Amino acid sequence: MPGRYIKRHSLQTRLTHGIVVFSVIWLAISGLFVFVPYFTQIGSGEFVRFMRVSHRVVGVIFILVPIVSALLAPGGFKAFLKKYFVKWTPEDKEFMKKFIPYMLSPKKVHMPDQDEVKSGQRVADGAIIVGGIMMAVSGLALWLGGSVFHASAEVLVVMRFVHDLFFLVLVVFVVAHAYLGAGIFQPYHGMRKLMFGDGLVRESDALYHWGFWAREELEEGDNIVER
Amino acid sequence: MAQGKAILYDSSKCSSCKGCQVACKTWNNLASPIEKNAQPWTGSYQCPPDLDTHTRLVITFDEKPREKYGVDWAFGRRSCMHCTNAACVMVCPSGCLFHDEETGMVSIDNEKCIGCQYCHSACPFDVPRHQGVSFMGTEAIINKCTGCIDRIKNGRSPACVSTCQSNALQFGEWSDMLAKAKERAEVLKAKGFDAAQVYGEEQMGGTHVIYVLKYPLEQYKLPENPQVSPLIGAMNWFKPILGVGSVALLGGLGISFLRGVGYKRDEMHYDELKHDIVDLDTGEVIRHIDKEAGER
Repeated sequence: MPGRYIKRHSLQTRLTHGIVVFSVIWLAISGLFVFVPYFTQIGSGEFVRFMRVSHRVVGVIFILVPIVSALLAPGGFKAFLKKYFVKWTPEDKEFMKKFIPYMLSPKKVHMPDQDEVKSGQRVADGAIIVGGIMMAVSGLALWLGGSVFHASAEVLVVMRFVHDLFFLVLVVFVVAHAYLGAGIFQPYHGMRKLMFGDGLVRESDALYHWGFWAREELEEGDNIVER
Repeated sequence: MAQGKAILYDSSKCSSCKGCQVACKTWNNLASPIEKNAQPWTGSYQCPPDLDTHTRLVITFDEKPREKYGVDWAFGRRSCMHCTNAACVMVCPSGCLFHDEETGMVSIDNEKCIGCQYCHSACPFDVPRHQGVSFMGTEAIINKCTGCIDRIKNGRSPACVSTCQSNALQFGEWSDMLAKAKERAEVLKAKGFDAAQVYGEEQMGGTHVIYVLKYPLEQYKLPENPQVSPLIGAMNWFKPILGVGSVALLGGLGISFLRGVGYKRDEMHYDELKHDIVDLDTGEVIRHIDKEAGER
């Protein structure tokens, strides 16, 4: 569609996100073969073992890719963190208050302007990032503790508890993230292209979703693309 | 109270000949290292030092000096306790670990083991071991006492019991073994072994290996009050929570989706010079951003 677009996500960010998305999907599927006895028991022993090993291999990808990405672009990583650790504005608080009513009645409830990362996004992404780190740490402890370091039973049980608990937390936040991010929710239609397309957001969509940020970008003009 | 069968181990009758260890290895075809000095030196007659990937049963040794002269030399038996409330069975996702219905023994189906080692971390007695543990974990497979249910189903006693010369190991109905154990503990107390006690009646809902302990518990390295970790109980709730939660979440998002069907909004454009947000179709100013008033 012709018009003005704002650059929102770099190629590196999109690639990192894409690889993490693939990893999360694969880790969830392969993890279910240990987490849910029904899946464990319908698969053959060899198949479940393959899933367990793939869980470890993909787990390494899940851990390493964001770290490598951060190391390749330390400035970008710093800017990324800065967006999340900001003081909450009255609009941020209003957004959170209206979030559930908005999700259930988007035609009637109108959301306030937001900065580059919405307050709800900060909460949800924060939960996903913290959950991902906890999954990575507990997963590594379970893997290495059960093979190389022979960790005590108490440590392994605690790590398993942490791994299972944050799996539940992530199911909620990742599914909600996918629902919004993939644009299944009608007001978010087209958002999928921000991460799985060219990383550009249409001016109109940017003004609707991130009003403060969009106007700032449009005034500065550095990240604007005309089509 | 537990039911089914039980192995009775009377530590006061055990001569620590280790015939039971050998019988277990023989019946289950479990290798032992045969190279010279392959076992680490621990200063104890206990050998191997603990259960390992090829040892399901080990006789334990403990020396405690008496006040005046001599030592209390306690022989113990370390192997699967075959708990009624078996934590390993609770956590096993594959059905590899199971209670044998007839005997109550906790047995294994190696074909089903996926090498997750959850049983190892759950057992309050630190019993299950795994063969083939490696960095990638492709070959890990459980190794622990099966209760010799294959022998029991053919009218024989477990291999360890069948070879015991001193009658320290007996096998029979759980209630009979418990009664014998209690009777023996009373005899020992009457002989001056004040700490003599029965172990396995109450622990973990009743274990299918019942001990008569001649000396205090700590000489046998048995936990006084073994428990299933409360975290395991909590984790068992996670699965129904995941199921119900997923349905609730998808239901909620489904409602949200349906409520959003038909949603449309006007195309907007921002005039950065006038600071106006304009409706692209009508050209009408939807909103003016009052920069002087501090609006962003």
